[in-house]
Amino acid sequence: MTSQSLGKSLPRTPNRLDAIDGSRPMDEQLLAMIVGLTSEVTVMRARLDAAERLLAASGALPGGAIDAFEPDVEAAAQREALRKATLEKVFRPLREAAEAELAAINAPVEETLS
Amino acid sequence: MSEQMSERRAQLDHPLIAVPSHDELAEQLFVRDLKLYVMSQIEPVQARIAAAEQKTSAGANNTAAALRERMGRHESFSTWLSLKRESQRQLWSSVAASVERQAGDLEELAAIEAPRGSVRTDPEFAVPDYIRRGDIHLMPGGNAHDDGSILQGAMMDRGGAVYMLGRNGGMLNDLRGQTAMAHVLTRFPDLNPARILDMGCGIGTSTVPAATCFPEAEVHGIDVGASMLRYAHARAEHLGAGVHFSQQSAEKTDFADGSFDLVFSCVMFHETSQAATMAIIAESRRLLRPGGVAVHLEVPLLHDNSDAWVELSGELEAQYNNEPNWRGALSADYRSLFEAAGFSSVETGYQATSPAARSGPFRYGSESEGVFRSWFVASGVA
Repeated sequence: MTSQSLGKSLPRTPNRLDAIDGSRPMDEQLLAMIVGLTSEVTVMRARLDAAERLLAASGALPGGAIDAFEPDVEAAAQREALRKATLEKVFRPLREAAEAELAAINAPVEETLS
Repeated sequence: MSEQMSERRAQLDHPLIAVPSHDELAEQLFVRDLKLYVMSQIEPVQARIAAAEQKTSAGANNTAAALRERMGRHESFSTWLSLKRESQRQLWSSVAASVERQAGDLEELAAIEAPRGSVRTDPEFAVPDYIRRGDIHLMPGGNAHDDGSILQGAMMDRGGAVYMLGRNGGMLNDLRGQTAMAHVLTRFPDLNPARILDMGCGIGTSTVPAATCFPEAEVHGIDVGASMLRYAHARAEHLGAGVHFSQQSAEKTDFADGSFDLVFSCVMFHETSQAATMAIIAESRRLLRPGGVAVHLEVPLLHDNSDAWVELSGELEAQYNNEPNWRGALSADYRSLFEAAGFSSVETGYQATSPAARSGPFRYGSESEGVFRSWFVASGVA
């Protein structure tokens, strides 16, 4: 049997979501995004674990090879760039917000009074 | 007892249940563990805050409503509720994606060549208000959703098993049905029903145990959703049970007077309304032949002496997980309702949870043995 989706889609948004006491919509949206990301990371980690175990079982990846891995200079630089890009992607809103506040403080008085 | 949900994907209790891929299973286990985390690590702290609040306001108004107002002043109260609701939404979202992916396989499996039972849907069916007003358990589309396929049923089956965290009979999710039948064997050991009706049967998790317990009986199941019922029919056939499913409201069915020997339901009343509950009990009476038996199983009732936090927790669960008649069903006086409908020998109490009806335990008493260890059951004779 081949697995086919048949192009059918099930609904995703339930009818009736009462407001939660003391909660702002944005709080709930942020929380939901964090839960979604945690789910993604958990699934990715499980998949990586499965890949490592399968590779180890096939002999392609000797046990402990990943923990013993030492990137060479070029690889280390590429990995550093990846880390920096991730940090900028995730924390850009905080940097932007801080820069906007700094700009407001430094702005000439006449501009802010108009 | 059936296996709990585990990483062993091949160990299934019936072949029709949606089988997750590696990643989908990791996602569903994440949801299950998130729910357990909320339940075991976050909720108990709220319970302690509630206890402290009740202590400091000793003598004052200690109703659930007053406690809710005080709890609302704590930010962690709303984050707990938000996280709990989000875990439920993630549950349906992860199951829906997995079901959609294998729609072809599921439809193929659901095409039964020589069925022993049947399924009858009704395009003119009027969905009751309590189903239309909010999607029960936040299942998107709700119990009555129908796109002509079996997919909503497949989602309800797999989602229900994940939702119960494996505590209700693993992937079969059948402990309530087994327990309702164990109640019949406990209270009415000589009853040998020829015709049995399961009201609010859903995907047939409790209907199949009835057919298994009484293999000679003609078993019927009714509910409000066509997709659910099509799935229920195919699922029952795969489990070796010939059940006749039809799309009908338990408040008013098209079966003739006195046409059943046993009418039962499992955790249905709290998904209806108070008026519907009364109508359903009256309909149960109408459908039974003289001497026939009605058995209605529910979650443990709220007692007058239960504390405000227990009551508030139930109220919040009802509101944010869309349980339309939680308070009504848990505070109803079932003895009076049954007697008003013309039942005799009415008993209300708690039936010990049974993994397989015929093997017991045959224990029925006035005290709850705890959530999931026993179920509230009201029964009476027509």
